[in-house]
Amino acid sequence: MLKIFQRLWQVNWAEQWQYRANLIMYLLYWLVSPIIYLAVWTSIAASKGSVNGLTVNDFTTYYMTLLIVDQITSNIVIHTFAYKVQDGSLSGELVRPIHPMLTNALVNNIAFKVLTIMGFIPIWTVLYFLFKPDFSSVTWTGILFAIPAMILGFLVSFLLSAAITSLAFWTTRVYSVHEFYYALMLLFSGQFVPLTLMPRLIQDIAQFLPFQLLIYYPVQLILGNLSSAQIVQGYVAGLVWLLISIVLFNWIWRNGVKQYSAVGA
Amino acid sequence: MNVLKLLSAFLKVNIQMSLAYRADTVVNILLNLMWLGWELLSLGIIFSNTETIGGWDFGELIGLLGVFRLVHTLMIALIWPNTEKFNQSIRDGSMDYTLLQPINSMFLVTFSRITVWRAWDLVLAVILIIVGINVAGDVTTPLSVLTFILLTASGAIIIYSLWIVLIALTFWFTKFDNNVTILQALLDAGRYPVTVYPVWLRILVTFVIPIAVATTVPLQGLRGDLTFDRVLMFICIGIVSFLIASQVWKRGLKQYSGASS
Repeated sequence: MLKIFQRLWQVNWAEQWQYRANLIMYLLYWLVSPIIYLAVWTSIAASKGSVNGLTVNDFTTYYMTLLIVDQITSNIVIHTFAYKVQDGSLSGELVRPIHPMLTNALVNNIAFKVLTIMGFIPIWTVLYFLFKPDFSSVTWTGILFAIPAMILGFLVSFLLSAAITSLAFWTTRVYSVHEFYYALMLLFSGQFVPLTLMPRLIQDIAQFLPFQLLIYYPVQLILGNLSSAQIVQGYVAGLVWLLISIVLFNWIWRNGVKQYSAVGA
Repeated sequence: MNVLKLLSAFLKVNIQMSLAYRADTVVNILLNLMWLGWELLSLGIIFSNTETIGGWDFGELIGLLGVFRLVHTLMIALIWPNTEKFNQSIRDGSMDYTLLQPINSMFLVTFSRITVWRAWDLVLAVILIIVGINVAGDVTTPLSVLTFILLTASGAIIIYSLWIVLIALTFWFTKFDNNVTILQALLDAGRYPVTVYPVWLRILVTFVIPIAVATTVPLQGLRGDLTFDRVLMFICIGIVSFLIASQVWKRGLKQYSGASS
């Protein structure tokens, strides 16, 4: 099994490396909105002294950390997989004795991630000197606890996106479904603004959804803003959502493959 | 050649194409409304914490959202689909057929694809602008409205010209599929007034990729923030950049050798 993953890694790494210019463009595309939110909220905090107790530095560190966390927990499976169902090229992968989504697509995502992170480090460094965040509240224990949390977050986000992508077995409008999912993510993950500034109702609903595991929870963990009870609560929520997303994905996948008629084959 | 006749022919073809995907159009309009809801909610969240950002109030930001959506529509209804077609035609050589037509090739490349249902977005944008300005209580005169329209038009032309230059670069560097990503990436910066941004970002979106010239500047004109000289300057930049773009396009065409031959 390890050998298979090693091979898959070589193939997918080579594939992603081929598109490295696209990766830089993708990075740029994806960096812009957090930087804009950063600019907007720091300008408000600067003019008012603080927003709901959050200072300019709180916002700067939040978004600077968010850039890293989002890089690790996000995934691109909808873009690399849904078209294979639609044009029938998935057939070749289905006859192989390995799971197309949980091996090939997963490794492809990780290869993509490693490459973008390589491109991302110098950009982040430049931003660091432009915005000069004060990271003195960050502790090693916080980072240590955040690493498994981010891996958990990535697995949940990957499986949920994989579940949605598998809807492509039924509908060609899977991209629209994903767009809707992405909007929910913007609303409940803390991508736009630290969740504490959201309306009460949204904060309450966010507690019961997986989205804050992807952004808000790891970010606050790194910044050392969580009590030990909140850390435990976050991990429990993460494991529960991991379980839910595994079951959900498996169920949709299994029924989807039965549905699959291999267009073009 | 009758330009209007051609345009209406393009429109007809594109309407027919989109009618083949009626359900998609409905879904797209629903998603579009969802994003509008999100945009208004995010403005609501910002303004529940402050009265102004960068010297602009809630109503003015709704107005800015309207102007942003005008530019956004220009991009999404015209620029992206035509870029896709253009890049394809450079790769497979079908650009040859475009060049053989007895009409200005820049015109053909600009208008052959139109995402028709996006016209609805333009109506929405105008409503947002009118509502926003009324909520803000800004005093408008016929002159300031005229300034606004001229500045919006020149801003759109500046972005359009930049686009022409970017895709014309493909004539020199054939493998340049990413020609418009930078435009796409920085577009979001147009949602907020540039006065909010740190200096380096302000310079980037004003002078390098001038998104702000088409979003912040027209509203500044409407608010009366700009002197007459400034307004004149932006309009001149619009005209000059269009002239430069058509020159670059002509030079680029001479470089084109055709993928098939």
